Amino acid sequence: MDLALFVLLLVLVAVLAGLVGSLTGLGGGVVMIPLLVVLFATSIPVAIGTGFVTILATSSATGATYVRDRLSDIRIGMFLEIATVPGALLGATATVFLTHAHLASALLIALGVVLLGTIPLVLSRRHVEIPALGPQGPVARRLGLSGEYYDHFLQRDVPYRAARARPALAVMFSAGVVSGMFGIGAGALKVLALERSMNLPMKVSTATSNFMIGVTAAAGAGVMLSAGYVNPIVAAPVAIGTALGAFLGSQVLPALRNRTVRTIYVPVVLALAIEVILRGLGIA
Amino acid sequence: MTTAPVPGPSSPPNSHPLPAEAYERMALVLRLGLGVALGILGIGVVAYLLQNPGASSSDVLSHNPILTYLHLSELVSGLAAGSVGAVLTLGLIVLVATPIARVASGLYYFQRGRERAMTGIAFIVLVLLLLGILVIGPLIR
Repeated sequence: MDLALFVLLLVLVAVLAGLVGSLTGLGGGVVMIPLLVVLFATSIPVAIGTGFVTILATSSATGATYVRDRLSDIRIGMFLEIATVPGALLGATATVFLTHAHLASALLIALGVVLLGTIPLVLSRRHVEIPALGPQGPVARRLGLSGEYYDHFLQRDVPYRAARARPALAVMFSAGVVSGMFGIGAGALKVLALERSMNLPMKVSTATSNFMIGVTAAAGAGVMLSAGYVNPIVAAPVAIGTALGAFLGSQVLPALRNRTVRTIYVPVVLALAIEVILRGLGIA
Repeated sequence: MTTAPVPGPSSPPNSHPLPAEAYERMALVLRLGLGVALGILGIGVVAYLLQNPGASSSDVLSHNPILTYLHLSELVSGLAAGSVGAVLTLGLIVLVATPIARVASGLYYFQRGRERAMTGIAFIVLVLLLLGILVIGPLIR
């Protein structure tokens, strides 16, 4: 393929990945990585390395808007990064070794199963627009993990209080490992921890997940970059396109009803889980 | 699990809220970092296309210049020589550094608010990030 056309197509596909990534809190990498392998014939390790770039662009683009609008909870995000960052370092290090051991396919299947497992959990709470304020665990209370945001759709301030910090940390560590191994945001797991363990509203969960995935990705990206798995000629157009798509997505999210965000989340996760499993089995 | 009283709708949700300035600065850090990174990467891509008019995608996929410029001295000399690979590498480094700068910004505001626990958490996150980039990555290269 002609290089100029290759670059143009990379930008266009990355815009789409960034848009989907920011609307769902997934980060865009999980869309971009399979597409890089299937459409652009990159190797899986280079696709994973580029995935980190996708995440960094998505998180910074949407993070700026969400932080400005107070949708991202900085305190909760920062607290949980203490689990995602070591997880990502471990995951990325494992990927560098596993790439040489030809075990990436089995890991892809495992990722697909994890993604599928989040869907019933998300569906089980589809009727909840804003969770009720509940009791806090001792860690969440001590660190003041609570806040409020202005909901543009409901046109009122919505208070929230993080419930259980320890189970959220455990899920976040797993999310960090998955993120580091596959170059994805693992936003599905992060949203799960924020929403289920911490009992946060969907929009706060999505925005805080977007806020956190950049730091998780920075941990993984550092390892993959120095290991030579980030091709800058591929990564640069992807970064530009993803940032543009993520910015567009972040402009749309505050005006959406929580239920609408959830409706986007489920089919995207389902499709990607199937895609990842098929890739792991060597079918796709 | 300890049960805390549930506040009323008008009660302050957090007794130690971060100042509005913290949110604005962090948003600025993210926006500036991303803007600078994308600007550098955009210039790099255009320059690469201009320098390689007949190139195909397979040329790009078979040649990864990233390892050449990961040492600071080589990056500086590459930039001084106008190497497109060095420019692209710099853009990627700025992109990776942006969320790290955001963590540093959070550390500053938690420290300024005398929140020892959150300051400690932000510090550990920052140290881990630097450890990954400066120690773990080069070790397993």
